[in-house]
Amino acid sequence: MSASLTILAQHLLNGVLIGCAYALIAMGLTMIFGVMNIANFAHGEFYMLGGFVAFYLVSLMGLNYFAALPVAVAAVVALAIILQHAIFRRLREAPMMTTTLVTIGLSIFLEHVALLLWGPQPQSIPTPFPTKPLSFFGVYTTPLYLFCMAVTAALIVVGHVVIRRTRMGKAMRATFQNKEASALVGIRIDRIYAYAFAFGAALAAAAGAVLGGFIPVEPATGGIVTLKAFIVVILGGMGSFVGAIVGGLMLGLAEALGAGYMPTGWKDAIGFFAVILVLLFRPEGLFKRV
Amino acid sequence: MSRRIATLAVLALLCAVPLVVRDDYYLHLFIVSGIFVVAVLGLDLIVGYVGQLSLAHAAFFAMGAYTSALLFVRLQWSMWLGLPAAALAVGFAAFVLGGVILRTRGHRFIIITVVFAELMKLVATNWVDMTRGFMGLPGLALPKLSLPGLGSLDITAKSHFYYVVLLAAIVAFLLCRALVRSSIGRKFVLVRENEPLAESLGISAFRYAMIAFVAGAALAGAAGSLYAHYVGFVSPDLFNFSYVTIMLIMVILGGKGTLVGPALGAVLFTFLPELLREASHWRMITFATILIVATLFMPKGIVYPLVAYLVPRRWRLSDAHAA
Repeated sequence: MSASLTILAQHLLNGVLIGCAYALIAMGLTMIFGVMNIANFAHGEFYMLGGFVAFYLVSLMGLNYFAALPVAVAAVVALAIILQHAIFRRLREAPMMTTTLVTIGLSIFLEHVALLLWGPQPQSIPTPFPTKPLSFFGVYTTPLYLFCMAVTAALIVVGHVVIRRTRMGKAMRATFQNKEASALVGIRIDRIYAYAFAFGAALAAAAGAVLGGFIPVEPATGGIVTLKAFIVVILGGMGSFVGAIVGGLMLGLAEALGAGYMPTGWKDAIGFFAVILVLLFRPEGLFKRV
Repeated sequence: MSRRIATLAVLALLCAVPLVVRDDYYLHLFIVSGIFVVAVLGLDLIVGYVGQLSLAHAAFFAMGAYTSALLFVRLQWSMWLGLPAAALAVGFAAFVLGGVILRTRGHRFIIITVVFAELMKLVATNWVDMTRGFMGLPGLALPKLSLPGLGSLDITAKSHFYYVVLLAAIVAFLLCRALVRSSIGRKFVLVRENEPLAESLGISAFRYAMIAFVAGAALAGAAGSLYAHYVGFVSPDLFNFSYVTIMLIMVILGGKGTLVGPALGAVLFTFLPELLREASHWRMITFATILIVATLFMPKGIVYPLVAYLVPRRWRLSDAHAA
């Protein structure tokens, strides 16, 4: 392979992991948006908390890395269930301004609680993988990177199967499309709300726990993650799961290429411009609602 | 008659502040609250009167600050020119942005306003040749006020600049009051309360949302200009999300869709965080809690209902159309 092709392959590989993470987070955000009609500005906080809890378990409590990941996700899901009961349950049928302001408040609340608990410094989760890089045809990667990529990709498949193939997923999609009709055929909307919220939080927390070994996590991470996930959701079409997955991968790859070939600091602008272009020329998003 | 006396009494009190408050720190807080009043009244137009949640307002404020600062640093324009230029520039930016995003109201509108704010922050951070990036633009000065026949007046002292800000706040208040009491303002409220009805009457929701959006942004730009010249320094930190949160708290707890409420909210929530400074870690947590609780349980806010309860109607300066 020529040198420039190798570099291109390297950038693309770097983009796949972050793209998978975007896809995971955006799937949950889309689910919550579709079922509850809430733009959850606190969604990135689940990612951040997933990372921090995993860090806390591994680094400070000495728990095994592979055990810590599911435990961290479970902890965040437990928090999400509490939040759903305390706050989100009240937001059913509430006006958009109310739901948005409440989730913004919640996002600030969680960020600053994390700041109190863990301080402002970025933290990396220690992992048991060897740090020696692997080389394939001149493209470098690490065992940790491959592991993270495999886990996030597998979780996307799991999430997709849950939505597409299970009874619960079917009920969620039905609620998504028509609440009254779903209630009429015996779907318990209250329960679907709780499941959709826990499902979304679990995917985001999993992404955070897995990527936390790779990209250091800090309390302020949540806000950026929320923004990126919203960009993906708008790019993919609000309410489309396939759109969330494809949009996430596309944004991840585009940003990796941007980081490789553009002046530093501008890579985050790619998503912003893409959103404005989509809004101008294809406001319903790249994929129609599914 | 009693209303006129009440107005004069309030004005006299406001004018007397620098004579009574000799402490520079508290005077500083009064000046900052005055600047926030201007910005928050603008936010109230779009959030309170038209009912669209804009999260770009702090970015408009910061853009006004940067416009004024750049004009001063690069072209030596004083604040007297910089302030209207900032209001115009930011108003125009809002017009362009609104043309793209006000057609898609709802969730998409809210999200794109955040995206826009972040994009502007990226520009301020990364266009180093123009904005000096993270280092910011220091060395802004306040202008001399030369009045023909009266010589020149020094407004660099806090007790003098206070009157400039007070005047700006009063002008902003009167402009907003004139706007919301006009037929345009009544259409704002109609668009908020029943958009299909407004459209069926031939009232374009897009157009009236645009008017409020642009007017609000221009006020934010003017406030940003005042702030830049007062503090003497601008940096990308001005774009931080916490500013828009605090402005929203001022509007929501003040009482969105009224003018007196958010104006008093701006003063209250400039002083309150400073008085809570001891517990700075808990400050944002407290604010977030207040925002959540107030949004869920007190949709009319706190300040305006309190004012409405305490002050007899015939004494009040303004306000109909409470949200």
